[in-house]
Amino acid sequence: MEIIEKITTNKLVENQTEIQKICLHKLQSSPLPNPKSELWRLSNKSKFSNLLDYSINEKDLKLDTPYPKNSQSTIRLIIGENYQIKLIEENYSIQQLSEDELDKFMKEQISFFDQNENWSDLLNLSISCKKNILGLKINGSKIPPIEIFSHSSTNSFNAKTLVIFLEKNCNIELLQVNLGKENSSLSQSTFFFLEENSSLKHGVVSYGESGSNLLNSLNIIQQKNSEYKLGSLHFKFNYARFEINIKQSEGSAKTKIKGMQITKKDEQIATYTKIDFNGPNGFLDQINKSLADDKSHAIFEGSIIVPKIAQKTDASQLSRNLLLSSLAQIDTKPQLEIIADDVKCKHGATISQLNEEELFYMRTRGITLAEASKLQLSSYFQEIISFIPVSKDRWDLLDKLLNEN
Amino acid sequence: MQSKMKESDPILEVHNLFASTDNLPILKGVSINVYPGEIHAIMGRNGCGKSTLSKIIAGHPSYNITNGEIKFSGEKISSLEPEERAQAGIFLGFQYPIEIPGVSNLEFLRVSTNARRKFLNKEELDTFDFEELVKEKLELVKMDQAFLTRSVNQGFSGGEKKRNEILQMALLEPKIAILDETDSGLDIDALRIVASGIKKISNAQTGIILITHYQRLLDEIKPNYVHVMADGQIIKTGGSDLALELEKKGYEWTDNFVKET
Amino acid sequence: MANENLVKDVVREKEPYKYGFVTDIETEKIAKGLNEDIVKLISKKKGEPNFLLNFRLKAFKKWQKMKEPNWAEIGYQKIDYQDIIYYSAPKQKEKLSSLDEVDPKLLETFDKLGIPLTEQKKLTNVAVDAVFDSVSIATTFREELAEHGVIFCSISEAVKNHPDLIEKYLGTVVPASDNYFAALNSAVFSDGSFVYIPKGVTCPMDLSSYFRINSGDSGQFERTLIIAEESSSVSYLEGCTAPMFDTNTLHAAVVELIALDDASIKYSTVQNWYAGNEKGVGGIFNFVTKRGKCLGKRSKISWSQVETGSAITWKYPSCLLLGEESVGEFYSVALTNNLQQADTGTKMIHIGPKTKSTIVSKGISAGNSINSYRGLVKMGTKAAGSRNYSQCDSMLIGDQASANTFPYIKSQQPNSEIEHEASTCRISEDQLFYLQSRGIEFEEAISMMVSGFCRDVFNQLPMEFAAEADKLLSLKLEGSVG
Repeated sequence: MEIIEKITTNKLVENQTEIQKICLHKLQSSPLPNPKSELWRLSNKSKFSNLLDYSINEKDLKLDTPYPKNSQSTIRLIIGENYQIKLIEENYSIQQLSEDELDKFMKEQISFFDQNENWSDLLNLSISCKKNILGLKINGSKIPPIEIFSHSSTNSFNAKTLVIFLEKNCNIELLQVNLGKENSSLSQSTFFFLEENSSLKHGVVSYGESGSNLLNSLNIIQQKNSEYKLGSLHFKFNYARFEINIKQSEGSAKTKIKGMQITKKDEQIATYTKIDFNGPNGFLDQINKSLADDKSHAIFEGSIIVPKIAQKTDASQLSRNLLLSSLAQIDTKPQLEIIADDVKCKHGATISQLNEEELFYMRTRGITLAEASKLQLSSYFQEIISFIPVSKDRWDLLDKLLNEN
Repeated sequence: MQSKMKESDPILEVHNLFASTDNLPILKGVSINVYPGEIHAIMGRNGCGKSTLSKIIAGHPSYNITNGEIKFSGEKISSLEPEERAQAGIFLGFQYPIEIPGVSNLEFLRVSTNARRKFLNKEELDTFDFEELVKEKLELVKMDQAFLTRSVNQGFSGGEKKRNEILQMALLEPKIAILDETDSGLDIDALRIVASGIKKISNAQTGIILITHYQRLLDEIKPNYVHVMADGQIIKTGGSDLALELEKKGYEWTDNFVKET
Repeated sequence: MANENLVKDVVREKEPYKYGFVTDIETEKIAKGLNEDIVKLISKKKGEPNFLLNFRLKAFKKWQKMKEPNWAEIGYQKIDYQDIIYYSAPKQKEKLSSLDEVDPKLLETFDKLGIPLTEQKKLTNVAVDAVFDSVSIATTFREELAEHGVIFCSISEAVKNHPDLIEKYLGTVVPASDNYFAALNSAVFSDGSFVYIPKGVTCPMDLSSYFRINSGDSGQFERTLIIAEESSSVSYLEGCTAPMFDTNTLHAAVVELIALDDASIKYSTVQNWYAGNEKGVGGIFNFVTKRGKCLGKRSKISWSQVETGSAITWKYPSCLLLGEESVGEFYSVALTNNLQQADTGTKMIHIGPKTKSTIVSKGISAGNSINSYRGLVKMGTKAAGSRNYSQCDSMLIGDQASANTFPYIKSQQPNSEIEHEASTCRISEDQLFYLQSRGIEFEEAISMMVSGFCRDVFNQLPMEFAAEADKLLSLKLEGSVG
């Protein structure tokens, strides 16, 4: 594991920034996450070490965005391509965070980091150089949809960081696309700070090529009356982790998450979510779907934490899983930790195959088994895909998913 | 079993059929022949094997045929997949039509209609042509177009589900339709709509098997033959008056037949 | 709002634990502490055959190498294993030919606990094995059961009279190395119950063991083994109480069930060990390993438990579903109050094809207590056609209590189905108001709703037990809620 070696010998990156130094220092005491912790226990060891076996590459290749720009009205940004962003329009402004602002915010975040829980972020921030950190503050209304791309380059390890402050009353749609190149590792850490009354419709679509690995972490802080909606889709990774950490800092915020992961061949994709209600009247509606085929392994672990202060929390979490092959595996663990008494919390989990009665019904109408399965799968995907903002009409994700093998 | 001479070959021949699910025998020697233009009614108590018979003819994977055979248009069908049977013209109207969340009814109807049309060497219909066809058939069962945009059977009332079944039958134009308790859960108006739909779709070339508990559907659609089933066997066959007698005397009356045989 | 305050007020109150008395009886105790000699001494006192002594010594060696687990959501002061007495027995004549020879004080104790043992007063339809501290003092209805070939006796007697069965089955479901507390139990277990139901026999009456901890400084380590041969069935009940001491007493039991083809075992527990006082002083530490093995085709093991006592409960009655079409069930009510901590649940391990399991868990947390459900449902690669359904509901009373749910679900078999549902709720004020507006007292209303909440589980208990459990719960809540 080239990267771990370099961490221990402090040869990971040159000209370290202060943030890199802090994170590296935290990692040096124990450079790997504890394999016994619930968050890492199921991680495939050889795949995980493969992820860490690429050389760090700060100057990755220019990205050929695979999809043409939708229209003039979409703002497209690519992390790592150095530009000064300063868009000041009549209704809104999008500006780069100053170095001070970024430093202050990140240092505060890092001070809460736990070696196991935030290992992916610590690694990301240790490696991510200045040009691969995109920090923005956004305010105003009628903001055009934003697309932000991150990508890795073949045979290298790339770390990209995105930090966004949504100022009060601001309302945006933002799609993040993580593209894994053949035989590469991408580490993407994202930090969003939603101020009061702001609203973010967030999409995360991550897809790889053969032999791509991904560490994707998402940290959201929601202030009062903010609304955060996430539609996410992860597929085609040799190994991928999607870690979502959401904190409703004073409660009274809304969070809706619809996520999906698809594994085939011998891929392993895991989603870990932690939702922390740190005040009353919080709301969560979460569904996570997995589909595991061939020899693959899908993992979901979600925890909902409702302390005493979070009275009148209304939280629901559902894990729905399709296991399509006898060599595939699914692990799921939805968890509730509740101290407040006046709350409405529920969770559920199912693991099953495609519904046989539904399939039979369609087949008695002359629809072939393959087609009937496809119809059923597409309805299974549809709920998630329709929740991903910005490009849903153009990406034709559904077809891509159903037809790509 | 058939009393009069038939001019044409049977559409469906079920010969001494034994079948089981999870090693539990359900059918214990059922025979029935359906010729073009005929309407058969199968009656019997819950659990007598009526629904199982219909599912086996349609090819439900949970049942095993342990003895006997089923022929459709003179060919054995036991090795055919459910969809191949449907494409060939076997239609099963479900007692409890399945809800399929997320799959649009219109899309479902179009894909299935085209599968049948392909088999018949008819041109497959595009969305526009298909909508024309559906509108026409919707009339038959007095259904609103709004049904088409909803998910298959999801949130449909009992009556709406059954009408959706008859709509599918109208679109697929089967050679034989087996309607499993299509009358249950319908009020009298809905029953008339469904019955008149069935009558309009059927003709001298098609065969129909009505599976029912009650006389009231048979008042609307007069069967040529009535079969009474008990414990996986047909224990009595007669004309339409048998159903009336059964209605009058109840199923206890048929218990004696079992003892006799 | 007024109601809410009232709930908090009554939660603070406390009903005295009515089983908290101590029986003054002369006992034979060995010295405190644990080492190889103590293990040998226990075995010698019980006159055990060599295989059992070896079993104990191996377990002790393993235990010494193991670490106390710390993954559960419980916190407690470190247990000093050298400060515990591992063998304590009431002094009485070596062999008792009849109940009349049992010390009247002991009989009186069980009378007071509602478990009369004497011929005149004994329960008519339940056979009882009464365990007092480390030993079984009496078993009722032995002759009647023997007529049917049913063996129901203390495990010490079984070791003497049926060593072949013990050697064949002991430790086959819960190996000595299974966990820290199972290893400890395997080394030092003193007594417990043994049940053997021969082929084709439906046990003519419910069997019951009643465990009583009397002395404050001895731990209780009982061992229960139930074997149901082909096509047999049995319903077994277990009850537990202990006196009030301000020190913690350790209870580390192991229960093993084995069901062969078409056999069925129903195991019900009402656990009401002393829970400590409202400040969390005293109470039993209850670390129990219970596991059943559905070895045979179509065999069935059903656990039902009502857990109301103990300062700490750590217990996961589980089923290994090996036989084709075997069935595992777990029905649980766990009530915690004051500073009680319960971490309980089940494991359903589906190994054979077409196996089924059902889990229904109801947790009620009041006071400052912590009540966690922890479960594992696993479908192995050969478990085609298997199904599981789990439902875990929590009810919180007062805003200091906590309820956690940790279900862990793993599947390696596409042709299987797992469904888990969980919810958390409080007693709704609308419901309370509705009941009160019909003239029902506030306390009564709460107890009605709690017992309604637990209905699905109570329905699984044998009849006398269900009534008992319902009463116990409202008592606990009367002391705590009403």
